Amino acid sequence: MNRRHNADRGASRSINYSASPLLASKTPMWRSKFIVAALAVAFAGLAGRAAYVQVFGNDFFQRQGEVRFARTLELPANRGRVLDRNGLILASSVVAQSIWAIPEDVDKASPKLGELAKLLELPLADLKKRLAVEDKTFVWIKRQVDEPVAKQIAALAIPGLYQRREYKREYPEGEAAAHVVGFTNVEDRGQEGVELAFNQQLSGKNGSRRVIKDRLGRVVEDVRDVIPPLDGSDLQLSIDSKVQYFAYQKVREAVLAHKALAGSAVVLDAVTGEVLALANFPSFDPNYRRNLSGEQLRNRALTDSFEPGSTMKPFIAGLALEKGMVTPVTQIQTAPGRIRIGGASISDSHPHGLLTVNQIIQKSSNVGTVKMAMQMQPREMWETYVQAGFGQKPQLPFPGVVSGRLRPYKSWRPIEQATMSYGYGLSASLFQLAHAYTIFARDGELIPVSMLKNPAPAPAQGVRVFSEQNARAVRQMLQMAATTGGTAPQAQTMGYSVAGKTGTARKQEGKGYADKKYRAFFVGLAPVESPRIVVAVMIDEPTNGAYYGGVVAGPVFSQTVQQTLRILGVQPDMSVKPQIVTEFVEESF
Amino acid sequence: MIRLNLVLLLAVLISAFYLVHTQYESRRLYAAIDRSQSQALKLDAEHEQLVVQKRAQAASARVQQLATSQLQMRQVTPGITEYVALPAPATPESRP
Repeated sequence: MNRRHNADRGASRSINYSASPLLASKTPMWRSKFIVAALAVAFAGLAGRAAYVQVFGNDFFQRQGEVRFARTLELPANRGRVLDRNGLILASSVVAQSIWAIPEDVDKASPKLGELAKLLELPLADLKKRLAVEDKTFVWIKRQVDEPVAKQIAALAIPGLYQRREYKREYPEGEAAAHVVGFTNVEDRGQEGVELAFNQQLSGKNGSRRVIKDRLGRVVEDVRDVIPPLDGSDLQLSIDSKVQYFAYQKVREAVLAHKALAGSAVVLDAVTGEVLALANFPSFDPNYRRNLSGEQLRNRALTDSFEPGSTMKPFIAGLALEKGMVTPVTQIQTAPGRIRIGGASISDSHPHGLLTVNQIIQKSSNVGTVKMAMQMQPREMWETYVQAGFGQKPQLPFPGVVSGRLRPYKSWRPIEQATMSYGYGLSASLFQLAHAYTIFARDGELIPVSMLKNPAPAPAQGVRVFSEQNARAVRQMLQMAATTGGTAPQAQTMGYSVAGKTGTARKQEGKGYADKKYRAFFVGLAPVESPRIVVAVMIDEPTNGAYYGGVVAGPVFSQTVQQTLRILGVQPDMSVKPQIVTEFVEESF
Repeated sequence: MIRLNLVLLLAVLISAFYLVHTQYESRRLYAAIDRSQSQALKLDAEHEQLVVQKRAQAASARVQQLATSQLQMRQVTPGITEYVALPAPATPESRP
């Protein structure tokens, strides 16, 4: 150290700057001028550049700068929830992560891919095939993965694999309410049911914000005002999820027990006109929609129309009373159980003799009904049917609602008028039938129906079809039909009086009627004195021996009525032998 | 004159440093608020998820299945129900 210091000193001593020959030589004047000029040019260049950046090219540079640190963030809006009448969730959006990848960046030989495939429940070969598209910079691996799985995937930390926050629709009520609620696709758009019908109201509007992010990706400033997301509004249906579940369960049991093709049930609130339940079987679980068939997806109660059979007879009886042609006790000869209209013969399945109008409905006599109908003008019958809502689309905002078929009366031939009186030659959906029966439940008024809960519950205002007295008379007949001696004693239920009409219609096949294919119905109301609900049940093609409406659909009606009235808190109107056993226990301390 | 200039220079410097500090602080706070907001959103989403899960656990189908299979419960009928009248006008949707 010391030596070096000395050496330095020695060196400084050895050079004499003032004596340097370089300094002694005279520099030419142009050199210094040249340096000054060069510096001046350089400064001028800088000034020019500054002016260009700040003034002329300002926009461009401003934009380029922004592109590098300003980001537009989308603020996703929540899709509204679908609620039942008691505020229970029928459908709601929850966060789910969608997994995507940049195929180029993913190491295809990584053993982690196997784990990923297992987590995603995808075959490894499938996963690799998706990642094989090298020219793409974005590939969905799987959309809407559940949150816990997504966290595990994130923990794998596979390079080139990313997650994107999305919303997934959850349907807690599952298959019981599947047809009513419907479902959405991965883009959160309604595809079926209420989700489709009220898509606009349910879907929100995404907002956005423009922000400046720093080097670490943190938001440090908002560039402009935030456009807040507009969440979709919640939708409260008139459906009661408990009633819905019971109706679905009973229909399902009946379809399975009778080895039938399908079944439906509709429960209407006879006071407010609200739809309490709309159940169909076969159904599907909207949470796992794979390999769905049209059979499962169809909301039969609304989209299938069929010949309603004997369930139309009460309307003929009502009209006959209304016109003063008969009273409930007027006797009509139905022997020998057959009647000829034109060239065709109409017969009863069980021949009866002299029947009152009451008994014609109670025993569901075709001959008796036809005899009444043939004294009417086709126009009158047609008008009554139209007033009851047949041949018209129910006012329900639902996809695929059918209007059924009711031909104009001018083209009716006498045989058609006759068959139409007992429900052949016209078609209606189960929902239309249930709706039409509100006439009998509401003392002659057809009330409008609604799928949405009325915020201020009030009795619906209806359109009068029959007079109060006549509607009550028909209700009496319907009550008789549901007692011993009627067609559906099975429709009775403990504690509540019921009234209703069975129907057993042969199914149309091609041009004629199938030999042994039937549809069994029961449409009715309860309690009889002041009806609270209208229930319609349809079982399609029961093949396990029994096929009569009373036997097949009656019990479904009975159980549905029982549960629904209990859930609605309606007190039984019939005395029940109490089965509560109270044991006397001596009090003790 | 020189003293005044020096004071002014000092003032400008202090102001400049303070500006830098404030800017830094504002960005830091903004980032914090943003983080909190996204945290709130996340918790909100989680809440909704839990609500839905709770609802799914209490769905009629599951309740009935558990009630009948594990607790050996059966449907109520009017035969085993004691109805009591409410003394005062009850809420319109009174439940038994």
